[in-house]
Amino acid sequence: MALRLEYSHDDETHRNFLNGQPVVMHSHHYLALITKLVEDLADMSAPEILRDAVEDTMRAVFDDYIAKNGLTSAQDRCNVGREYFSVFGLGKMVITGDENGGEIRLLRSHVDEGWVKKWGVHNKPINHFTCGYVAAMFGAAFNKPARSYVVTEVASIAAGDSEGKFIVKTS
Amino acid sequence: MTVMRDTVVKSLARVTVQADENGLIPEYEVLVNLLPVALLNTFMERIMAAAPPERKAEVEAGLVRAAYECGYHTGCGIITSDIFNEVVLPMVTEGEKDILRGAYAAFTAWGWAKSGIVQLKEAEKMVIRAFDYYEADSGGDGLRGFMLRGLSQAFFDLAYADPYPDGMDTFVCHQTKGIEAGDPYGEFIVVKK
Repeated sequence: MALRLEYSHDDETHRNFLNGQPVVMHSHHYLALITKLVEDLADMSAPEILRDAVEDTMRAVFDDYIAKNGLTSAQDRCNVGREYFSVFGLGKMVITGDENGGEIRLLRSHVDEGWVKKWGVHNKPINHFTCGYVAAMFGAAFNKPARSYVVTEVASIAAGDSEGKFIVKTS
Repeated sequence: MTVMRDTVVKSLARVTVQADENGLIPEYEVLVNLLPVALLNTFMERIMAAAPPERKAEVEAGLVRAAYECGYHTGCGIITSDIFNEVVLPMVTEGEKDILRGAYAAFTAWGWAKSGIVQLKEAEKMVIRAFDYYEADSGGDGLRGFMLRGLSQAFFDLAYADPYPDGMDTFVCHQTKGIEAGDPYGEFIVVKK
């Protein structure tokens, strides 16, 4: 499946849209600093807030695409998230699994590589963003409600591993 | 000739970014991402809501800082990019003033904020008005233009502080009006720190 991409621009507001969803450009500095902010605010459960915000908003994007394109197979539905990940400039992932869980290999990662560019290798995984993203992807693939999946980052490019790895389990 | 805003906006609005075979978007000397506005606004509101009153300023400062550093580093890449050289630089006759005018045309064209400079005292003060910006949709209480605050501070630093990368944190930007607070436009004032 190849994701159908339709970019548009509102000439009055000058907002940009991808498949009807308002989108905006930022750089790795932005996501690296947002990631650092949530790390610094861990006592406020900020990493979980970021994960959940990513899960909820990405899920809406995936569900919208899936509904508009009439996708029914779990594989096609899952591929929506995988392909969007690259379209958003977030990197490249390989997915294995079923509705009971799975594993994601992150071959390239905007968040991790951005962190390393900015601050060098870290002493632990930091990719809360992708944890939320993967939870949304599995939820959309298997038509499960939000928070149906718990995603744990067990290998991290930001922490010096050659690729990232995320384990997905049902909650 | 000075920077003709409409010409710049029209030219830059046609520019789209596309990921490479690795799913990355290396542009303007940084890695670019293209994210749903709803994600950025949802995160901002949830983290602000989670902060107790005594820590809201800390969270707000962190959000502005993210936009500021993004704006400072990416901004340098933008104003030295081929597209900026091609579209904006031929119209620059008033130095930094015109670079800033071009930068706000770029902000507008790329959907960050439909914004422009209404007052500029070189190296001292700048007033910006924004008639559309995505953070105005966030649904939160109070002024929420954290991104445009950070970007405005960053570009004034790039224009008038020490040359990149030594000019950080020379100026500061305050938001004085916001569409999200019921005003007809957002207003942002940059002054010396």
